[in-house]
Amino acid sequence: MSAINIENLSFAYDKELILDNINLEVKELDFLAIIGPNGGGKSTLLKLILGVEKFTQGKIEIFNNKSQKNISLIGYVPQNTNVNIDFPIKVIEVVLMGHFSNKKPLFGYAKEERACALGALKQVGMEEYTESKIGSLSGGQRQRVMIARALCSHTKILVLDEPTSSIDIKGQKEIYDLLKELNSYITIVVVSHDISVILEYANRVAHINKKLSFHDISNKKETFHTHGENQHFCEVELLQMLGADNCNTCKDKE
Amino acid sequence: MIEALSFEFVQNALIAGILVSFAAGIIGSLIVVNRMVFLAGGMAHASYGGIGMAVYFGFPIFLGASLFAVLSAIIIAILTMRQRNRMDTFIGLIWAVGMAIGVIFIDLTPGYNVDMMSYLFGSILAVSKENIYFMSVLLTTIIFVMIFWYRDILAVSYDSEYAKLRGVNVKFFYTLILILSALTVVVAIKVVGLILVIAMLTIPVYIAEKLSKSLFGMMLISGLVATLFTLAGLWFSYTYNLSSGASIILLSASGLGIFLLLNNFFKGNRI
Repeated sequence: MSAINIENLSFAYDKELILDNINLEVKELDFLAIIGPNGGGKSTLLKLILGVEKFTQGKIEIFNNKSQKNISLIGYVPQNTNVNIDFPIKVIEVVLMGHFSNKKPLFGYAKEERACALGALKQVGMEEYTESKIGSLSGGQRQRVMIARALCSHTKILVLDEPTSSIDIKGQKEIYDLLKELNSYITIVVVSHDISVILEYANRVAHINKKLSFHDISNKKETFHTHGENQHFCEVELLQMLGADNCNTCKDKE
Repeated sequence: MIEALSFEFVQNALIAGILVSFAAGIIGSLIVVNRMVFLAGGMAHASYGGIGMAVYFGFPIFLGASLFAVLSAIIIAILTMRQRNRMDTFIGLIWAVGMAIGVIFIDLTPGYNVDMMSYLFGSILAVSKENIYFMSVLLTTIIFVMIFWYRDILAVSYDSEYAKLRGVNVKFFYTLILILSALTVVVAIKVVGLILVIAMLTIPVYIAEKLSKSLFGMMLISGLVATLFTLAGLWFSYTYNLSSGASIILLSASGLGIFLLLNNFFKGNRI
């Protein structure tokens, strides 16, 4: 089944075309990396999927339903998680925010919501920090909490925007390992600049620069050797991998 | 001091002090975490326009100030939703225009208006029964709103973008916070005056922020701390025959200084 299905999607701010006729199918349990230059439309595509921006042309389906209907199945992790660090809020309260606002307004949270939030914290390995103040955590730990928040409402698709932009190298690897783990039962879509890192984990890559080109790299990884302990591709290999046989520009040259 | 408690105006001042302190503690917390301190200052000064008009047309001053403060809150809310990055300019504008309207209307009012100073620097000893009713209704409303919409207000304050994604009506809650802030500013003007109102809304909150892990805790602690400062300030002003508003603010500031020193000493925390 396709988790996200985008057909003939175009989007423009005023007269400037940002996305031109995008077609993209994300299958269930895919690990999709969205790469591309700044201003190429990556974030706009995310906003359209999340329903923050409204589109006029094309369609987006989530689990074979109109995106608005199934929007609660998507968990979102925003790019900058360093905002409001001084805010007096406990980890558990941040995670509880992930619940969709359909409960009647009343002080506090329902028991099952609390249980669900604790479950999400366990999934990301942060259950010890439930009652900690969010500002006392490290960048990597805070990112885990944000992932827990996104997982909170029975999420089937996790969408992350530059999840490691403000984390040190060790933390980055831990976050990606966590995502890999979650990928066994959740579809993952990551927008990222760290191409070399993301490609170790992703099985599909979409390159967006107004237009979209799609690469399935799941069966190509074995052909490349590893450097030292960590699997790591160097840029030439990356380009080869992406360009090998499904890149249109390369074909034209031949 | 004990015999002073038998005077009705002292009793009123104490009741008003406690009511306003709690309102200021709760709303001050929201103002600080939403980074709206400058905005609160703008509303306080804009409400002077309402005070001036109320004096000129002869309707209740609380009503005039409230109307003006709420009006400026709504204008600011609309402008901010459209153009967030120019917010400080708009606030500065509303700040000055409101003040100017107040000054002009007071000029136009016949007779000598000696009482106007009390709105600039507070007059808690002149609190009337009607003022106290107004304050009680406001505090009850604030508590009611917080109980019913705590999670939404928390979500909007902490991460409004995410709250929007989760289906929270961000614009509604933002405007609600602004309107409650406007009304709280108006009652705080009665206690410490519009020039000093910012200090009352921020000093207890700053202390509470260091002591609490959650927004709820922050509201409760700042309410208690504000009450402590207000009562101590009242006692100080009564004993030494000084202005009550300024006494409350200076005691609060001294309290903050002592707190920060102790905090530094015991925890080694930076300010």
